[in-house]
Amino acid sequence: MLVTWRYRDRKSLIQWFDPRAWIIFYGCFLASTLFFWDIRFLTPLLIIAMIVLITSGVSWHEMRRAFLFIFGFIFIFTLFTFLTGRGGEEVYSQEHLIRRLSAPFSILGWKPTLDVTIERAFFAISQLARVFSIAIMTVLIPYSLNPALYGITFRGLGLPDKMAYAVDLTMRFIPTFGRDFQLTMDAQRARGYELDKITGGLIEQVRKFGPIIVPVTIHAIIGSEDIIDAMDLRAFGIGPRTWLQRLTYQRRDRVLIIFGGLLLAASLIVLFMGYGGFWIPEALFRIIGY
Amino acid sequence: MDRKLASVFWTLIVTLAVFVILIYVGGNMLGIERLMTGENPLMRFVFVIVGLLIAFLIYYSTRENKIWEVGTREVVWMAIGAALYAVFSWLFNGTVFVVPSLSQVALRPAIAIPMFFGYAFGPVVGFFTGAVGNMFGDALTGFGLYPQWSIGNGLVGFIAGMALLFKDKKKSMDTVLWIGGVLVLLAALVYYINRTLPNMMFFDVANNIFGDAPITAFAGISIIVGFLLVLIVRFAFGKNIDIATAVTWGMLGNILGIGFAAISDIWVNGYSPAAAVVGEFLPAAGPNLIFAAILVPLLVVAYAAVQKQSGR
Repeated sequence: MLVTWRYRDRKSLIQWFDPRAWIIFYGCFLASTLFFWDIRFLTPLLIIAMIVLITSGVSWHEMRRAFLFIFGFIFIFTLFTFLTGRGGEEVYSQEHLIRRLSAPFSILGWKPTLDVTIERAFFAISQLARVFSIAIMTVLIPYSLNPALYGITFRGLGLPDKMAYAVDLTMRFIPTFGRDFQLTMDAQRARGYELDKITGGLIEQVRKFGPIIVPVTIHAIIGSEDIIDAMDLRAFGIGPRTWLQRLTYQRRDRVLIIFGGLLLAASLIVLFMGYGGFWIPEALFRIIGY
Repeated sequence: MDRKLASVFWTLIVTLAVFVILIYVGGNMLGIERLMTGENPLMRFVFVIVGLLIAFLIYYSTRENKIWEVGTREVVWMAIGAALYAVFSWLFNGTVFVVPSLSQVALRPAIAIPMFFGYAFGPVVGFFTGAVGNMFGDALTGFGLYPQWSIGNGLVGFIAGMALLFKDKKKSMDTVLWIGGVLVLLAALVYYINRTLPNMMFFDVANNIFGDAPITAFAGISIIVGFLLVLIVRFAFGKNIDIATAVTWGMLGNILGIGFAAISDIWVNGYSPAAAVVGEFLPAAGPNLIFAAILVPLLVVAYAAVQKQSGR
């Protein structure tokens, strides 16, 4: 049985547009976001993402689980970056100390110390804005894109029939396999298997992933025979494919594509002018006393 | 070359040329810092095209072979492989073990999926599984897309599938083992020489900054451990040629695919070659090899049983 994403028809900004136009805009938005570490350029992109979120028509109840997981993950990752400075060395080489926090105890002669620096703090803020923008735009896609239009959307974007259909099927299978994973996990737990408490040496631990990965994979392959038969019976791949739905660009779709193109072009120009790298306001150094 | 193929090839070449010219003119001639190699977002796309060109050229030079045919079965397997890889990546990303590395390179048992799908269903299925699965996995995690890493993952499955190009599996496997062995030794040597590099350790001894430790010795030598496991599988399962071939070609796919992505970060993120190898390649490819040597045989055996039962 196929499980689907939580798509439903909503009166939302995303669904007002042709899905092809939205995917093109999303691609431009994504590329633009990846170009920058500068919070001044990331802020407008975050605002766009927030507008899309607010107008998405997806209720908190619907997206609660996905958002809590992703935002929790992003928050912990950003916090980890802030605490360790990891990742920041890609964009800054010097650090200016704001405050050093030392633990009142030591472990085997090592005293845990946290250096709060201007660079780490600003890098964490920039990273949060960057990853949040991407996450918001990405998470909303399965809630807003009609599964019946996946194939024709990717075909309309220029992929060959077979590739478009493969991407269509991939998007459809993800929630199904997520469910299968959960079912398999529950079944194995009933037999005493606990993924969260895997013990033993590394090799033994790796081997213990087998009871989860192997049944889910093999079950998927066995299930694929029915889909293959159904597709073969409909002469899939024999000639050019026809699609039940038809997508037509409206004026608003062209406007969205142009907006996406301009956003990307503007980002590239900013990039070519040498801006967009990691930025910290000069005033901040003066306030801190550097 | 027929018209369609020629158009794909020339599109890739022209796009690559445009990017290279942009970077050369903007970065080297006009001196725009962000376009120079090192922390250069545009280079991501250059490496996407380079990776696609590598796959295309291998395909073109062996295009007469039946393994390149894409029918209904391959389309469905591509989708299943990519969806499984995405789901497993999402579930296991960073939640199992954490080894220090320069970027978000997590230890992933899911890597067995593109290797297995590549070997069992061919390089096209393997490439799609790795590349699209990685892309969807990253998107599900909410971390955005790292296109050159997706292509690197695609190459893992693609190279694993190249085993089907050779009639004499045993001979091809031994050649692959020699190539893999040399590459593993080279990587281990780079680790040995650079294991005290300051830029791969984020622990400032002088300031006693809390946080990052240097790459652990185990992560450093994990590629050797993985290679030894592959050797054991190769000789212990010498009679079951499928298991040995799947693991051996999966190993080469892992080394070259992850190596491609890690080395691209020399230009994309400005890492030194040693940092790319020690900080990214080893913590990712080493543990991957261990997963490959243990999980891929399990999948091959289970799939063989299914084939026997269904007769397909």
